[in-house]
Amino acid sequence: MGNLKRLDVNPCKMCMPIGAAIAFKGIEESMLLMHGSQGCSTYMRRHMSTHYEEPIDIASSSIDEQGTVYGGEKNLRQGLKNLIKLYSPKVIGVVTTCLAETIGEDINRIAADFKKANDVEDISIITVPTPGYGGSQFEGYYLTLRKIVEQLAESSGAKSSKLNVAAANLSPAEVREIKRILDLFELEYTILPDISKTLAAPFTKDYSKIPPGGTKISEIKKMGDAAFTIEFGTLVDSSLSTAVYLKDKFGIPAYRLPIPIGLKNTDQLINILAEISGKKIPLSLKEARGRLIDTMIDSHKYNSEGRAAVFGDPEMIYAVSSICQENGISPVIMATGTDLDIFQRKLEELTADSRDQNLIFSDTDFEEIRNYVNEYNINIMIGNSDGAFIEEKDGIPLIRVGFPIHDRVGASRQQNIGYQGSNNFLDQITNQILALKHDNYREDLYKEFYQANKGAAAAKDAAELKVGEE
Amino acid sequence: MKNNNNAGIEDVLDDVLQSYPAKSMKNRKEHILVKDKKKDKHKIKANTRTIPGIITNRGCAYAGCRGVVLGPLKDVVQLVHGPIGCSYYAWGMRRHQGVAAEGGKNFINYTFSTDMQDSDVVFGGERKLKEAIKEAVEIFNPSTIMITATCPVGLIGDDINNIAKKAEEEYGITVMAFNCEGYKGVSQSAGHHIANNEIMANLVGIEDKELDHKYPINLMGEYNIGGDAFEIERILEKIGYDIVASFSGNGTADQIKYSHEADLNLVQCHRSINYIAEMFEEKYGIPWLKVNFLGVDATIKALRNMAEYFGDPELKERTEKVIAEELAQIEGPLNRYQELFEGKTAFLFVGGSRAHHYQNVFKRIGIETVVAGYEFGHRDDYEGREVIPDIEMTADDRNIPELEVTKDDKKYNMRISKAKKEELQQKMPLDYYEGMIKEMEDGSIVIDDLNHHEHIKLTEALEPDIFCSGIKDKYTSHKMGIFSKQLHSYDYSGPYAGFKGHLQFAEDIAAGILNPSWSYINPPWKDNVELAGTIGGVR
Repeated sequence: MGNLKRLDVNPCKMCMPIGAAIAFKGIEESMLLMHGSQGCSTYMRRHMSTHYEEPIDIASSSIDEQGTVYGGEKNLRQGLKNLIKLYSPKVIGVVTTCLAETIGEDINRIAADFKKANDVEDISIITVPTPGYGGSQFEGYYLTLRKIVEQLAESSGAKSSKLNVAAANLSPAEVREIKRILDLFELEYTILPDISKTLAAPFTKDYSKIPPGGTKISEIKKMGDAAFTIEFGTLVDSSLSTAVYLKDKFGIPAYRLPIPIGLKNTDQLINILAEISGKKIPLSLKEARGRLIDTMIDSHKYNSEGRAAVFGDPEMIYAVSSICQENGISPVIMATGTDLDIFQRKLEELTADSRDQNLIFSDTDFEEIRNYVNEYNINIMIGNSDGAFIEEKDGIPLIRVGFPIHDRVGASRQQNIGYQGSNNFLDQITNQILALKHDNYREDLYKEFYQANKGAAAAKDAAELKVGEE
Repeated sequence: MKNNNNAGIEDVLDDVLQSYPAKSMKNRKEHILVKDKKKDKHKIKANTRTIPGIITNRGCAYAGCRGVVLGPLKDVVQLVHGPIGCSYYAWGMRRHQGVAAEGGKNFINYTFSTDMQDSDVVFGGERKLKEAIKEAVEIFNPSTIMITATCPVGLIGDDINNIAKKAEEEYGITVMAFNCEGYKGVSQSAGHHIANNEIMANLVGIEDKELDHKYPINLMGEYNIGGDAFEIERILEKIGYDIVASFSGNGTADQIKYSHEADLNLVQCHRSINYIAEMFEEKYGIPWLKVNFLGVDATIKALRNMAEYFGDPELKERTEKVIAEELAQIEGPLNRYQELFEGKTAFLFVGGSRAHHYQNVFKRIGIETVVAGYEFGHRDDYEGREVIPDIEMTADDRNIPELEVTKDDKKYNMRISKAKKEELQQKMPLDYYEGMIKEMEDGSIVIDDLNHHEHIKLTEALEPDIFCSGIKDKYTSHKMGIFSKQLHSYDYSGPYAGFKGHLQFAEDIAAGILNPSWSYINPPWKDNVELAGTIGGVR
C-alpha cells in the first residue's frame, strides 16, 4: 500500500544526504562536505551525534543568497581549501543538498577543476548527488557506497582471493561482529563502510579531529580485483547496488543478502561464507546456532502472543520482520516512509505463511502507522526511536532498533546480528512481551473472572429486585 | 585553568588562528577578542557570513524560524513546504515543552510536511501545498497553520504567501506563510527576523479581547526549554502578574492574536525577539523590559524592575515577599555548591543570549566564565544596543525585508509617559540591552561563531572544567575528558530558570563533575599519570 495523502505527518524517513553522511563516516581519514545551505550539515550532525554519542563533524559550503544567484562554486572551493588546511583528510566526500541540486551545481566539474588548480593530487574527492527530494536516507546510503566504489575501485588485472562486503546501515558493534565472523572463516576482506571504530571511538584522551579507523582507501581501490562481493541489501535497486556494479564492471560474483538478523538470514550468510572460504563452519558458530534454536524453542509460547509493528529503514524492516516471522511474533504492520516498489513484494513473500493479515506500507508516515497500530491491536513496536511518540501517547512499548535512536543510549553498541546477536535481540523482544504479561495479568484475570462474575451477579440481583417490585 | 594572564591569552589566540589559510585567518581574527577592563569599547565582528568548510555550529534561516520562534507554539500546525528532511530534522528537536490549555490543542509532538519530490521541484509544488493544507484542516482542525519554506521553494517560485491568503479565506482560520528558505541570511538569526516580521504583520492584534488583568504582560524570547517557562510562570503568577501571551515557549498563536492588550513586554532572549518588542512599542505603545530569568540574582533584579515599572506599592511588597520565600528555600544549598565549585571555570558557547545569561548562573555558584561566545548573535548582543547605529548593513541583511510599522490609531495606547519612561530608564534596562561583554571578567575571551577547530584549541589551552554548548560539540568535549553540559537541550534536565531552576542547575553540575567515572579515565598502566582524581578529576 502506498500513501495517497499529500500531507506527511511525522515522517518515517529522512533525506538522502544523511544516508550519505553515515556511509562516508566509515572511510579512513575522510571528511565530508555538504554543498548547500549550512543548516543541512548542522541538522544532520545533531541527529547523528545523538544516535552514535560521538562527535560528528561535517563541513558545509554555506551557500548564501548570493550563491543561489551566482552559483555556489566559490563557496565550495573555499570550503575545500579550509577543510584541507584544518583537517588534512585523505578523502573528501562532496555531496549535494536540495539547494545545490535545484540551482544545478556541477560538483563533478568543480571538484575536478579544484584538484587541477590546487596541489592536492593525493586527496581523493568523491562526489555524490544527493538531493533531499531524490529519495530517502536508504537510497542516499547505498548510492554513496556505490559512488565511492565507482570512483575508486580499479582492476589491476590480477585476481585476489579477497571478499568485498558492502554493509547495510548497521551499528558499529554489528560491523565488528561481521568482521569477527569473517575472521572465523579466515577470510581476507574489505568491508565498506567500516564504522566499527570511527563511530564508536574508544576513549583515549588523545582526541583526534578525524577519528581513527574506517575502510582504507588503498583497499577500496583494490575492490575490483576481489573474488566475491557480499552486499547486505536485498531491497536495494540494482542501480544503487555496489555488488551489481562490481559484477557488471569487473565480473565479480555477487551475493545480495538480507541483514543477518534471525536464524534463516544468518544461516544464509554462514553457508555462503563456508562455501567461498572452503572452510568448515567453526564450532563456535555451530554452538551459537544451537543456543539460538534452544532459545527459540524455550520462548515460543510467549513469542506467539506478539503482534508487532515494524518500521524504519526498509532493509532493517525486512530483517526484523524475518526474525519475528520465524518466532511466531506476527509482524502485523511493516511500514516505511521510503517510497520503494519492491518493498511490498519482498515482504509479502517473507510473510506468505503468516496466519495473520499483514499490512505492508511504503511511502507512509507515522500518523498512518499510529492509526493502524491502534486498529490492529499491536502490542509491541520494533523500530527507530521516531515511533516514541506513539509509545508515549498510546502506551505501546517500543523496542528501539536501527537508525536513529535519539532517546536512549547505546545505539552504537547494539548488536542484533549473527546467531549471538539475534539471540540477544530475540530475548529483548520476548522479555517485552513477558513484561506486558506480568504487568497486566492480575488486572486481566480480575476483569475476566472476578468482574465478569460480579457483573453477572449484580445483573441477577437487579432482575430479582425487579421481580420483587412487581 | 592555565594562561590566565592577557599576554598568555594572546599567544593562545595566535595559535588558534595560525592554522587557517591566510584569508580565513584574517576573517576569524575579527570574531575573537579578549576583555580588557582598561578599554571602554570592545568591537567584535558578528552576524557576518560563515566561512565555508570550517565546521560551524550555525544553522539556517529555516531552523531559526520554524525551529526556534514558531516551533514552541502549541496550537499551530507547522506545515513545512519542501522535501522531507527539513520537516523531519525539526521534529521534536528542541526540548521546548508545552502543556495544552484545557480544551486546547497541542501539536508539539507533530511535524507536517509536503514531502516534495523530484517532479514537484520541476513542475512546482503549489498544488501539493494546497492539498496538504486541506488535509491538515480536515484531519487536525487547527485554528492556525504556519507554512515555512525550505530552500527549493524560493528557487522554484512557489507562491506560498498567496496560497496562505487563499486558504485563510477558504477555511476561515489563520494561515501564515514564512519565506525562511535556508540560504537566507548568515545563520538562524535571519529566520528569527523573518518569523518576527510575519507574526507582527499578520498575527499580533488581529483579535481584541477585554482583559480583566491588573498587570498584564507578555513573555518574549523565552522558549520553555526543559520547562524554564513553567518555573517563570509559577513565580510571576505567584506575585500576581497575568501572562497574556508567550512568544513562544508554552505559548499559543491564539493568545498572540490579542497580545497587544498587555501593558509590558518582557524580553528574555534579545536576539530572537527584539524586532517584535520594538515594533510593539511603535505600533501599540507598549515598552519592553530586558529581563533574565536565568540565575537568582538576575531573576530578582528582573522582578524588582517589573514592580518598579508598574509602580504599585502593594505589588512591590508582594514581590519582596515572594523573593524572600523563594530564596529561603534555595540559598543554603546554593551556598554549599558555591563553596564546592569555587575556582572552577566554564567555557560557554551558545545561542544569542544564553552565553551571557548563564554567566551569572555560574558566578553565583563560584564558577568563572573564561570563554563566552554566541553562535548567531549580532554586535548589539555583545556590545550593547548603543552600537546599533554603527552596525553596517550587509547585502545579507538587506535581503531580509525590514517591516515598517506605524502607530495603530485605534489600538495605540502609550502605557507610560515619556518622562516616566526616561526616569525608569535610569534605573532599569527599559527598551535597552547592555550586551554580554560589559559584565565579563578582565582577560576572558569573547568568540563569535566558534567552530570545531577553535573549540579544540581553546579547550587544550585553557583546560576549562565545564564546557557548555550543544549536542554537536558535547562529545568532542567528552573525548577530551572535559565535562559538558548542554545549554540547548539541558541533557534532558531542567528547568534551570528562576529560583528552583538555579538549584536544579547546581545539582546537575555537581552530578556531572563529581561523577566518579572521571577518575578512571587515565588507565592504571599508563605512565606519568596522577592516580587520584581531584574533584571532578577531569584531567
